[in-house]
Amino acid sequence: MSDMIKVVVDDRSYNVEEGSRLIDLLIKEKIKVPYFCYHEALGADGNCRMCMVEIEGQKRPQIACDTFVKKGMEVRSKGDNIEKVRTNILELELINHPVDCPTCDQAGECSLQDFYMDYGLHDAEITIQEKIKHNKKMDLGSNVMLDQERCVLCARCTRFTDKITHSHELGIIGRGDHARVSTMPGRKLENPYAMNVVDLCPVGALTSKDFRFKQRVWFLKTVNSICHGCAKGCNIYIDHNKMKYQDDVIYRFRPRRNDEVNGFFICDEGRLSYKSLQENRQKQILLRKKVILNDQAVEEIRRLIDIYKFHIVITIDANLYTEEIESILAWAKVLGAKVYAPMEIYQDETFQDDMLKSANRAANTKTIENLGIDTGIPHKSGLLINFNHPQTFECDSKIEFKTHKTENTEFVLPLATYAEGTGHLTNEDGIVQYSEQALFMNAPVPTVTEWIEKVQL
Amino acid sequence: MRECQIVSRKFELENSHTLEVSQENGGYKTLEKLKEYSPTDIIKIISDANLRGKGGGGAPAGAKWELMPQESDKPSFLAVNCDESEPGTFKDRQIITKDPHLLIEGILITCYAIRAKHAYIYIRGEYYAYQQILQAAIDEACEAGLLNDCDITIHRGAGAYICGEKSALLESMEGKRGHPRLKPKQKEPEWYFDNPTLVNNVETIATVPFIVENGAEAYRAYGTEKSPGTLLFAMSGHVEKPGVYEAEFGTSMMEYINHYGGGIKNGKKLKAVIPGGVSCGVLTAKEVEGLTLDYEALRAVGSSLGTGGMILMDEDTCMVTALKNILEFYHEESCGQCTPCREGTGWVDKLVGKILDGKGTKADIDKLLKIADTMNGKTICVFAPAVSTVIVSFIKRFRAEFEVIL
Repeated sequence: MSDMIKVVVDDRSYNVEEGSRLIDLLIKEKIKVPYFCYHEALGADGNCRMCMVEIEGQKRPQIACDTFVKKGMEVRSKGDNIEKVRTNILELELINHPVDCPTCDQAGECSLQDFYMDYGLHDAEITIQEKIKHNKKMDLGSNVMLDQERCVLCARCTRFTDKITHSHELGIIGRGDHARVSTMPGRKLENPYAMNVVDLCPVGALTSKDFRFKQRVWFLKTVNSICHGCAKGCNIYIDHNKMKYQDDVIYRFRPRRNDEVNGFFICDEGRLSYKSLQENRQKQILLRKKVILNDQAVEEIRRLIDIYKFHIVITIDANLYTEEIESILAWAKVLGAKVYAPMEIYQDETFQDDMLKSANRAANTKTIENLGIDTGIPHKSGLLINFNHPQTFECDSKIEFKTHKTENTEFVLPLATYAEGTGHLTNEDGIVQYSEQALFMNAPVPTVTEWIEKVQL
Repeated sequence: MRECQIVSRKFELENSHTLEVSQENGGYKTLEKLKEYSPTDIIKIISDANLRGKGGGGAPAGAKWELMPQESDKPSFLAVNCDESEPGTFKDRQIITKDPHLLIEGILITCYAIRAKHAYIYIRGEYYAYQQILQAAIDEACEAGLLNDCDITIHRGAGAYICGEKSALLESMEGKRGHPRLKPKQKEPEWYFDNPTLVNNVETIATVPFIVENGAEAYRAYGTEKSPGTLLFAMSGHVEKPGVYEAEFGTSMMEYINHYGGGIKNGKKLKAVIPGGVSCGVLTAKEVEGLTLDYEALRAVGSSLGTGGMILMDEDTCMVTALKNILEFYHEESCGQCTPCREGTGWVDKLVGKILDGKGTKADIDKLLKIADTMNGKTICVFAPAVSTVIVSFIKRFRAEFEVIL
């Protein structure tokens, strides 16, 4: 590691590693600096020229992304001079931009809009009316739509397919103000991480076919969660909204930066898993295909437990939160029941890759291992109590707590999904992570812990 | 005016592009002499001669050569820049068609000095016919066993002006888009696939044999103290005898124009000169009087020597149309990487178009200057600053013409 040195930014002194990028310091210290092309995962490209700062001793303003801090460096990020430079460059950015914010899905989370609020807000100097026309609706593949006119040519998307996925589908074609992003001839954007380019795009050029036009982003509420698609435990944001007279709905998952786990990205399958999470939900209690009430159900559970005393087996889903697993274990002790978490079903070698995807498709496997729970197939039992495990096993009678609808309707009780509850997960590398509750439904479905409390009362 | 022929010595000979004629006239003789010198000796001679790069920048070539590692586990490369796309410039073309063996000889010496085993000649795609001549010469030299263990490969560009910028040239050679790279923070060679590489202009390399053969002092005998030697200056535009004529630095510009060019076409009066390819600021006829052709003199009047390709304009020239012509070129050729250049070149082109159409206002002229200021010094390469210089020089010197059109 390099030496720590002191640099001065706007008359304040900061300790920073010698030779690190100035822009990283500005971002870390939340010192306002506009930029389109720089991204910590993709490095500096130096093409947008927005992150200009003044450096003592340098004749001209310099871009912070391509400046490496040196001992005693004095930087000015504010002031009329530098703000004028940023304003002028921003104006150039807008010459050929369609300024179609009212119909643009990025509005509200658009860097161009944000920087305009910071450095623009003036009467346009552009007296040339005609703008360069490009394709406004290009389906690149993998749910990614491209509007070439809105693009600021920061090349984040092309650098992503070059440097991160190494799939090289995207490139810039044409020169000068006719330059535009496009797929390589005869190719589609096709890789398991393709939709990350939508997050990377600082403007409304790349939008998600899945999300666009569904919600204005300023209506969305965001919580921190963990993807349950596999044992990797990628950190995500859940963007949801409860519209008037309607239920709370998830509109999208977005990657949340965690350098220890997933870095900046998530896979497309995990990103789109919010759909199956909300579809086909088990909402009622079914006893032999008939809907029954809560109290009746609790009575029935207690009756069955009484009948099958000491012949009870509990199976649990390896996606449950640690807290839920622990309360099941405590209850099992009371019942004298044996607990299983059959793991074979979660194994999927075809899903695995060398980036983020793990062959183990259960989010909390490590906790199952840590708690010493049997991961084999359970022996034949009298009563099988299943907490959302996808399989069923031989038994005389069964109680199933399910988040989603199932063909088996002997005795099924609804269960809250992970987005409706909260708790910890341990990923395959042993990192313990916390997932917040995203959804607050009009008619909440009980979680595992709540069900156990009801039955035990 | 002193006649001097360092590079153009064999240009006038019949079949000067053949190996036979070249060797009869002293070609490849310095290769024998190489044995007396070590690679670092050669670099020292070039540094002592203060050979300045002849591609437009005029930076000392020796300093660049010294950056090349003499000991490295990576192979070193030489890339000869024959992209010659600057409007008004056509001197490298003369070398590769009239005396390609001089270039090859220079390449062999340079490769020896920087310990490179492979040289590339990056030639602009439009030079197809000239490339054929150059390739034939390389083949001839190869068959004659002159190349020894050095390979020379011609790489044809696809027609982008920016690929004449050294790092864009290397990007293009690597098979990528010709985009200039971010500049390194310390002095280091260029990199071709991460291998140290020297990029020099054709004429620079073609000057090397003379210096090695005759010594640094012989080269410094020509030119001025700070700009020693000669350059293949060229003239185009409103001149009686346009063409490439070698002259030493420090020659009087008017004397050069009148002696070699035969004066302004049809006996008209000179109005303006763009001294070294369109990227250099325009000068009025008055400024040109008494001006000498060297880097320092031209810098002093706010222009630059560039490639030495002068564009002469007579009294009937409309300077707004001339500027529009130049800006159209830049608009077309901006690589599109940096925002100020990508969007700025289009904007200024359209603005000048608007003025030419008679739809402009006085504010538009000031706006041109403002955009020029935004484009200056805020991009990766010097393309946008060059455009900026051109706009400012035109408006500063011929503002009245712009205002008349309004």
